Amino acid sequence: MRRLSAVSETASRLGLSVGQKATDAMALVPELTTAEAEPEADATALTALGDWCVRFSPAVAIDAPDGLFLDVTGVDHLWGGEAALLEDIRRRLAANGLPFRAAIADTPGAAWALAHYGEDGAIAPPGGQGPLLAPLRPAALRFDQETWAQIERLGLRQAGQLMAIPRGPFARRFGRGALLRLDQALGREAEALEFRRPPTPWFARLAFAEPISEPEDLARVAFDVAAKLCARLEAENQGARRFEIAFHRLDGKTLPLQVGLTLPGRDARRIAKLFAPKLETVDPGFGIEVVTITAEDVEPISSRQARLDTAREATVEEGLAPLVDRLVNRLGEDRVWRAAPVESHVPELAVGRARPLSKSMDGAKPKDKPRPWDPTAPRPARLFRRPEPVDMVLAITPDDPPSQFRWRGQVHRVRRAEGPERIGEEWWKAAIEDADTRHVRDYYRVEDAEGARFWLFRAGLYGDPAAPPQWWLHGVFG
Amino acid sequence: MSDFRAERLRAARAKIAVLETDGRPDAGTLPFGDPRIDGCLPGGGLPLGRWHEVCGEGLEVETAAAPAAFTALLVAPLARRGEVVWVLRRDDLWAPGLVGLGFPPERLIQVCARDEAEALSVMEDALATVGVAAVVGEVEAADLTAGRRLQLACEKQRATGFLIRRRPYGGTARREATGSAAATRWRVASAPSEPPAAAFGLGDPRFRVALERCRGGRTGAWLMQADGAYSQEMTDVAHPLRLVAELGDRQLAPAQPLRLAG
Repeated sequence: MRRLSAVSETASRLGLSVGQKATDAMALVPELTTAEAEPEADATALTALGDWCVRFSPAVAIDAPDGLFLDVTGVDHLWGGEAALLEDIRRRLAANGLPFRAAIADTPGAAWALAHYGEDGAIAPPGGQGPLLAPLRPAALRFDQETWAQIERLGLRQAGQLMAIPRGPFARRFGRGALLRLDQALGREAEALEFRRPPTPWFARLAFAEPISEPEDLARVAFDVAAKLCARLEAENQGARRFEIAFHRLDGKTLPLQVGLTLPGRDARRIAKLFAPKLETVDPGFGIEVVTITAEDVEPISSRQARLDTAREATVEEGLAPLVDRLVNRLGEDRVWRAAPVESHVPELAVGRARPLSKSMDGAKPKDKPRPWDPTAPRPARLFRRPEPVDMVLAITPDDPPSQFRWRGQVHRVRRAEGPERIGEEWWKAAIEDADTRHVRDYYRVEDAEGARFWLFRAGLYGDPAAPPQWWLHGVFG
Repeated sequence: MSDFRAERLRAARAKIAVLETDGRPDAGTLPFGDPRIDGCLPGGGLPLGRWHEVCGEGLEVETAAAPAAFTALLVAPLARRGEVVWVLRRDDLWAPGLVGLGFPPERLIQVCARDEAEALSVMEDALATVGVAAVVGEVEAADLTAGRRLQLACEKQRATGFLIRRRPYGGTARREATGSAAATRWRVASAPSEPPAAAFGLGDPRFRVALERCRGGRTGAWLMQADGAYSQEMTDVAHPLRLVAELGDRQLAPAQPLRLAG
């Protein structure tokens, strides 16, 4: 049976509700538009929203299917109070066109209750969630189905009535689970939330008596704070792959900068050097009062002895890793890569991009590794991202290689040719009805009279008058 | 008398070599394994720890496929000693195509630079890095200053640089730089392959290679063949390029003398 899993505001005004049969809803509102529920897509969107909320607090927990908990302890002062923080969250969510309800309270339970059943945007004063929760419906306390049904049966209509029941009889009647929920809402019992990004313990902070804004000062504090963190990493024999420096401005804005390392490291000088070119993007405004650094992807590394014999061959850590780091941080991660085999017959899909020096290349088990490219299959040194059309193609019989073609305005007479090598579509990767003989490619390696070698293909098969085969040039061998 | 002259010449050459390498030990050479070509090169092989220019001609000025294939063949023996960084402006270099030429793809780091200056500075940076055996860069041209900087970077760790001159698509030809700090300049074009009589299809790739400039050596032009390309044996040979025939010196021979090569 099909039921409504969510309704829009307009629909709810028309009397539709969640859980209603779809047929009933159609009877009530004949012009109703429905869409299939996509729980997985909702979960993905919620996760994305959770990641976005990290701007407000580093500790974000996802409350499936439609809620987020933000631990705002100790971050509200950056906005100038909880009210201003909540206002900022509401403004940004509204700017994104998301319907939402929000509340702030001491406990996750109380915040949940207020957000779901209380006044939208409520802020419970510290320790004062009790009176705010009292007028709400008992469902606000997140009871399980059974307890909730029993409460309904007893005619209890407000959470306050439940709070008034002495603890002993309450536990006897509704079970310990229900009492725990009540205690969690009122802050008498702690509740563990599963935060999406656990706040990293690798964190260092420098606060200044006077706000700083000079570029040289920024460079200096970047090194100082990195040195502070690196000293801790060194003491525990750890190294990190990613570092994020955040400059906290006087006006509450945070300017984060990130650098990544190919191999885990803890050399403050090197890390500061990677940050240096990015510092000019930092607008200090009226000044920066606090700078923090966090390290992620922390893993143990052994401390190496400094070499006595410097003429010996250097290791990867000394030469290549810093080079790759410099290039990645300067050009961007997508501009430095190592070509990695991907098991695909389609030429343009056969090459993936791996991070240079990444462990996955040599650490993976042989059976997990994709098969390397076949050296015996002739492949061009240059492959065009988009095959280029060729015209004036002459082929004696349909399956013969072309004896002449024109590419970029120049006619090439084919002297020798090899082929065809038929490369079919990977029909198993898409819907079967999308598969088409027009996607079949017959590749030929041809050499023209001057000796230039080309990789041509014919897309489609002969015999289909609606879609005559088309010739393309996909690469050049040289 | 002639002995005396030869002696003087040799002494002067050694002195110049010391001056040029700044008193450092020589990085060595990479011989082609054929006296006809090694004899033209100073030290009997492609000088390492220097940088070399590779140009294409005709349509290849923009696609630079033959220069890329030729460079990959030159670099393949070096790739066994360390990493190879290939700096591109267009990311159309295709690793599966290099595997068949005996180039180990796991040694290749590709970098796509945003402009000419960035490509040159990435080359410089990579050349001066420990563990990098060779750096290939695809740029339009390197002027004298850039060339000198590349040479200094090469000397730091004795890495070898290859500069593939490649014009951006649709760009107009720039004036050829008059001087260059490169050790050698090669002009490379594809040549028709000659498969064995009974074989079907294409033979091993051939290149018309002209050594147009060579510091301390002589120029020349040759027809070369990448023996055993696109086969399993490719990785085993000492040098993947085999000299098939000598062509006329100082100029790319037209199509006629190629028949001699068969």
